[in-house]
Parts: sequence; C-alpha cells; structure tokens
Amino acid sequence: MVDEKELREAVEKTVKRDDVKYVVGYEKGTYGFQVTPCFAYKSEDADKFIFSPLCVHNLAVFPMLEEKPPLRRGEEPDKRKVGVVVKGCDSRAIVQIIQEKGLDREKVVILGIPCTGVVDPKKLEAKFPGKTKNAEIKDDNDKFAITIDGKTSKIAKDELMPDKCKTCEYPTPVLYDILIGKEIKGSKKENYKEIESFEKKSLKDKWQYWEKQFEKCIRCYACRNSCPLCYCKECMVDQLDPQWVRRSVDVSENTAWNLLRAFHLAGRCIGCGQCERVCPMDIPLMKLNKKIEKEIKEMFKYTAGVNAEEKPLLAMFKPDDPEDFIL
Amino acid sequence: MDKMILSKNDLSKLIEELLKKNKVYGPVKSDDTVLFEEIKKPTELYLDYLNSEVPPKALMLHQTETLFKFIPGPKGKIEPVDMDEKKVIFGIRPCDAKSFAILDHVFEGDFDDPYFITKRKNTILIGLSCSTPGTNCFCTSFDDSPAASKYVDILLTDIGNNYYVEVISDLGKQVTKAAGKLFKSATESDTKKKKDAEKKAIDMISRTQKTDKIVEKLDKIFENRFWKDVAFKCLGCGTCTYLCPTCHCFDIQDESTLTKGARIRVWDNCMNPEYTIHASGYNPRPARANRVRNRIYHKYNYYPKNFDVIACVGCGRCIDLCPVNIDIIDVVTKAGEVKP
Amino acid sequence: MKENPYEPWLATVQDVREEVGGQRPIKTFKLKFNDNKIQDNFSYIPGQCAMVSLLGMGECFFAISSSPTKKGYIEVSVMKLGKVTTALHELETGDTVGVRGPYGNNFDVNGWKGKNLIFIGGGIGQAPLRSLIQYVVDKRKDYGKLDIIYGARTSKDISYKEEFADLEKRKDVNVHLSIDVKEDGWKKFVGFVPDNLLKVKPSPKNSIAITCGPPIMIKFVIQNLEKLGFTEDQIFTTLEMRMKCGIGKCGRCNIGNLYVCKDGPVFSYKQLKNIYGER
Repeated sequence: MVDEKELREAVEKTVKRDDVKYVVGYEKGTYGFQVTPCFAYKSEDADKFIFSPLCVHNLAVFPMLEEKPPLRRGEEPDKRKVGVVVKGCDSRAIVQIIQEKGLDREKVVILGIPCTGVVDPKKLEAKFPGKTKNAEIKDDNDKFAITIDGKTSKIAKDELMPDKCKTCEYPTPVLYDILIGKEIKGSKKENYKEIESFEKKSLKDKWQYWEKQFEKCIRCYACRNSCPLCYCKECMVDQLDPQWVRRSVDVSENTAWNLLRAFHLAGRCIGCGQCERVCPMDIPLMKLNKKIEKEIKEMFKYTAGVNAEEKPLLAMFKPDDPEDFIL
Repeated sequence: MDKMILSKNDLSKLIEELLKKNKVYGPVKSDDTVLFEEIKKPTELYLDYLNSEVPPKALMLHQTETLFKFIPGPKGKIEPVDMDEKKVIFGIRPCDAKSFAILDHVFEGDFDDPYFITKRKNTILIGLSCSTPGTNCFCTSFDDSPAASKYVDILLTDIGNNYYVEVISDLGKQVTKAAGKLFKSATESDTKKKKDAEKKAIDMISRTQKTDKIVEKLDKIFENRFWKDVAFKCLGCGTCTYLCPTCHCFDIQDESTLTKGARIRVWDNCMNPEYTIHASGYNPRPARANRVRNRIYHKYNYYPKNFDVIACVGCGRCIDLCPVNIDIIDVVTKAGEVKP
Repeated sequence: MKENPYEPWLATVQDVREEVGGQRPIKTFKLKFNDNKIQDNFSYIPGQCAMVSLLGMGECFFAISSSPTKKGYIEVSVMKLGKVTTALHELETGDTVGVRGPYGNNFDVNGWKGKNLIFIGGGIGQAPLRSLIQYVVDKRKDYGKLDIIYGARTSKDISYKEEFADLEKRKDVNVHLSIDVKEDGWKKFVGFVPDNLLKVKPSPKNSIAITCGPPIMIKFVIQNLEKLGFTEDQIFTTLEMRMKCGIGKCGRCNIGNLYVCKDGPVFSYKQLKNIYGER
C-alpha cells in the first residue's frame, strides 16, 4: 500500500530543486482503467501523481528518451537532472543503464516505491471487458479491490497479476534517492518453470510455435521503443549500409528481428515485461527474454541490474570465465 | 437501393457461393487476436468480435508489396509483376470501409497508383454493422454511424435471426443476383428492426471528439507549446501508425542478392526520426514533438485542406493500443480549446 | 504518361564529368533513354526533377540540370553523400540506370518572359538553376537582363567551371562568382553569397530572383533581397526533402499540406510564408 500523499510530497520536494528539470510519474488516464505517464515541471503538477496496481509502465525509458534538439545561438543545453518514479523492477533498469554508462548516476533522482504487485492489463481486460469510465483498483493485502461505477469487488491477486510479479525477487527498488514507504523483503524466487516445460518440447514443435508467432509480427518496433534498455542512437534495423535486417515483413525477417533483439538484451534484460505488454499482436516476447536470462544465470551466475558498481556482463571478462579465450 | 434479408443459417451458403470465383477474406481468430485473413471454408469465420487488430487496409496496401523485379547492377533489366486477382472482404466494419474512400484520394490524382487502384476495383466489400461499439469508438464524431452504408458494396445488419441486407453498388448487385435464392425481400418490420439496431449502437457510443472548425483552429496553434506537452510521453513506437486505417506512409527499398532482386514498398512510420533525415544529416523534424504534431496535422489539417475530408474514421485502435495512453480524442478536443 | 508510375524507364550513361573533387565530390551524368521514342517524348520544363535509380541500390530525387532545349539527353548532377549516391559515383559510360519522371512543378518560363532574372546559387544548389539558365541563354531574346551570382567554399568547389567561363565571355550575361575564403590568384569577390548579392545590388524593378543552395544561405539571401526591395512574389526558391515515391503518395516530403515532390520543389516566398510546417 503506497501513501499517495507521501508520494506527492516527495515529488513536490524534488521538483522544487533547482537542479531538477522535471519528474516523471503516473497519473490517471483518459478512460476506464488507464494510467498514463505524467510529467511534473512545477510544484502544482505534483498533485496529479498517483500510484495504484494499475501503474504497470516502466518509466525508466523516459530518461533515455531525452532528445538534443538543435539550439539557438547562445543557448546552453539544459543539463539538469530528471526525476523518475520507479517500482522494484523498473529500478533495476536504471541500475543496468548506469552500469553500462548509458546514464550518469548524478543525472537521475530516483523516487523508489516498494511494490506489492501490479495488474496485467490483458488479464484485466479479459475479466472486465469493455473498459468502463469510472474504474479504480486499490491494493488490499493479498487481494485487489476493484471499483467500477461505485461497486467494489475483491479478486485474489494471483488471478490478475502478470507472471513477472509472481516470481518477483526485488519488490523494493535496489537503488533510490527517496523511498516512499517501507522496504519490502523479497520472498519469491524465480524458478523458470514455464521455460523448462517449453524446453522439453521437440524442435519441430518449438519452431511451429514460434513460426506462428513471428508471422503475426508487424515490425512496428513498439517493443524496441518502449524498452528502457534499447537506447542505441541508430538501431541495427534502421541501418542501410550495411543492412542487417531487411525492411520486408515476412517470417524470415521477423524471426531475425525478434531473435537479434533478444540477443542484444542478453545479460541486460531485467524482465519488466514492457515489450510483451505493448506488443499489439500479443507475441510472447518474455519467453525469449526469460530463456536467455536463464542461460546467463546458469553460465555466468549473473543477474542484470542489481549492482550499479558492477561491470556489465558481456562487456568484460574474468580469469575464471568458462571460455578458453577472452572472446 | 434494394432491401432484403438473409437468414443467418444461409450465411455459409453465401460464403460458399463467393468462394467459387473469388478469394474471400474475413475475420479469423488466431490465439487472442482477430485478423482479416483468407478463408477457405465458411466455418473459419469468427463473427463475435468488435474489430480486427490490423485494419483491412493491409489487404489493399500490403505491408510488403513488390513493385517490380529486376536484375541488379549497372547492367540491369526490369520485369514487372502481375497485379492481384478478384477478392471479397467479408465482415468489414463501416469505419474501415470509409478509410478506403479516404485513401482513394491519395492513390488517385495526378499519378494513379496501379497497385492500390487495381485492388480496389477487384474487391467487393461486404460490410457488417457494429451492434456493440467499443469504449473508444467515435465514428459518430464524423457524422458517420456504426451502420453506415455509403462505403461498402453490400451492408449486413444483425436483426435477430436474420441479417438485413442493403445493396449499394453494382458490384453488390452482381453478388445478390448470383446467390439470388438465398435472399428474401425485406418487410417493413425488418426495416424498423434495422433502424432500431442502428439507433441502439449509436447510443452506445459514449465518446465524442469535437472537430468543428478544427482546420482553422489548428492553423493558429502550430507553434504553441501545447504540442510539446502532448508529445513528451510519446515513445515513437509506431503502433498508432501501423494500425491506423488511414495512415498510408510507405518506404521504397531495393532488396536484392547479386543475381536478382525486387523493389519493394513497405509501410513506414513517421514517428521514427529516420523518416525525414536528409543525406546531409539535417533533420527537419528532430524532436518527437515535431513528429507527433505532424501526424495530427496531417489528419486534421493538411488532408482536409487538400481533399476536403478529415483523415480519421473514429475506429479507436490508436487509443486502445497506445502504450502510454496518448488519446487522440482528448488531444484534438483539447487542441480546439487552446487559446492561440 | 506511363501506366505504372513506380516503374522506371531504362537509360544509359553517355558521359560522366567530374565537377568537384575532394571530400564531397560532384559529378554530372549525361543520360539517354534506351528507347528513342521515350527520349523524344520526355518533355519537361526547367525546375522539374527526376528519380534516378540504380537497380539493387535504390533511387534518389534529382533536379534535371540540363535545359529541355538541349535535345537527345538529360543531365543530372550528383553529390556523393549516402548509399545510393556513392554507388552512382562508381558508374561509367555505358552503364544502365533507371529514370522516372518528370516530377514536380516548374519555373514559370512563360510568365517570366521579358523580365530581368537574377540567379543566386551556392554549392550544389546551382544544379536546378542551371537548367533554367541554359534555357534562358538559348532563348536569350525572350528575357531581360540576366545576372548570375554564384559562390562556393573554395575555387576548387565551383561547379560547372567551363560553363561559367563561357558565360563570363558573353556580353549579354553578368556573372558574379565568389568564394568564401581568400585564395591566391582569386581576383573576384571573397565572402558569402548573400554579401555578394548586396554588393551586386540588382534592381527589383521588373525582376524575378531565383535562389537555391544550403538552407542557411537561402535564409540570408531572402533577407537581403527584401532589403533591396524585392517583394515576396518576386522571390522563388527550390526546396529539398527526403523523398521516396516522388509522386505525392508516400507522405514523407510534406511541408504543411504541400508535398515538395508534387507541389514543389519550386516555391515562391509568398507560398512559403503562408504554409505552416518545418523548413
């Protein structure tokens, strides 16, 4: 349970600082259960901020979306800090980016929220189709209290939580400047049960499954754009000279795109599930990412995004690495 | 306009009749998504849906379309490709059908786009009225209705045990003539049932977008800070452009091996910074704010200036699928209220 | 018009001439259509452009830099900058390219008869202007005074060196060349093109000014033209955007509600002031 008043005070305090440009958090959306990212530039904006189990977005993507528009003569670029409201999983994204030196620790002010689990929008839609106008969800120990048009019903968390929350090992942000509420100790463990049962399938079945999924892909790149760790200035798929992946949209190129992206995230993906959530064609991208995460854990005993001082896994080597050579 | 009824039990016979001479595309359920795909039997149809994920524009303007084949290099040759054959799109919603009429303006004109126009000529549209519009449907903001018949060849409306059939065009007449014995004349009570169903659907549409005098209003606020606030949370992901029935921007690329190749046309996304980048590195739309503003202006200002129609049909896909809830109904209504 | 506007006609390279070397080389290609009938029927007016493609690499939108009064061929000037232009620079005489066109609007060659024309070009921007200059020189009696103001970074970067030398010899044409930085042996104006314009001081009476070059040069040239008294419908320019289809369909090159490939590239300053859009 997060005290929204405490959140708003913390945001106000952060925005008032001279060295902070803006703070990004969550506010109520335009219809039904929607929640949308919200930017506070002045103290008054802090009143819009909320936090509820509907806040599924990973806001760590916004400090990386900072653009450098062309400046007028004599104008200095705005180098102030950016404040971000993060849950446990989101904070790992920021830590991972700091590890890779994609972001300076000094450039972000992290407002951490210890999270007891969010709601999967697709499961919610299946349970309450036709999103209605006045809808809210509140945390209630091990249930979600859902209020639609004044009527409240309680549903067990397991029914509506995304899979990532059921095996969450880091409910409290691993790095923060301000913590809203009390620390929560991680009590669940990631066991990769689903991945293991998928691994047992025959090669033919596995390919049939994935071929069907990749046929659906429309290469909208929503997965790439919403991922906090996909921040390459020019993505390999936009390059024409040399061209790594063709622009045509067919199973062969789609497979290349999805697998290449999963590999580029090896050792870096923190499992926030944002890519799967935004995919308009409902492709189970987290299966790919979790499989690689499992392999990385077994081979290198490494978890991404936990320690900001650590060096990034695939960018360094240790003398006791499994390979013969440093590559 | 002929008015007839078709019993729901006879629907599969109608599809079979169509399958004899055409390729038939209809809504098909694949996992949790509904897409317009080719069907070989009437049982593959899935009619208990609101709208497909990918709009049927994918059938007129293929996502990847071969323009022509060639043998590459400085000693090359060109081989043209055949255009599509006859097809039927069954179960298209009136809003998506309107999008074709809107896209016609772009693809006709000074230069006719043979790929789009040939497909348009060879396709019969059999529409299906919406009986339960979704939360984010707003076709009524453009003086349309969930049971609008203007843009299809035949319109079916669910009135209980039967479908109310309205035949609008000559292409539609051909179909009903060929399957003549399946159709019966409509009675007055059938016509009343259709009007009631239409009114019920219109009443269910809860959201409206204010678009009166939007062209003039937008002219005045081009440089306004409002667009920066709207676009700040945009991720530039491209979901809205790819799933919008009227977005038509495309890219042309040559894809070849050493011995053969093809020039293809693929959908493109104006939210991508590389969309307008010049070879010199200069980019006229460097920030997300510029690109979001360009997209909204293209639909509500530039298109009406060129062709006299707002390039939005009110299907609501962009609102349903935007990961950060950038709501076009909200944005355009607010834009109309911004003080210049 | 052809049935499929996306399909190019094949043309052969007749001649390749290097205008400028160095880091950003410019070459002029003389192209002739393989099919003589198409060559004879390919009619265009100065200002219009064509899409030149190298099969397997891609295509680019170029201004046709030769005048339609020169029969039997068209010329395009290409600066080596990206993937397709680099490949084009490798072409030799006898190679095949694809050409689509002509696209875009044109300079108002009929409406400007009898007027004084002032051309202000910079760098590669001279290419679209050259088509009109050749046309006017070929029909010299139809037009009034002709002033050409052209500047480049150094004397090596001047395009069309031989043609400028020929034009300077003519008595009915005034050529004012300039380079940006001082150089040994350069006796003419040293400085930026907008400043050279102020020095030449053309009169706005019964005149039309046409300019093309880098965006920043166009901006200052227009400012100085207004200082000299030119009104907004006496000033014309050709613009450039990234283009793919060339026929106003792919939606890429729009400025406001006008497409640069279809409603341009020639625009009057009056038009530009009134449309909203990124420039």
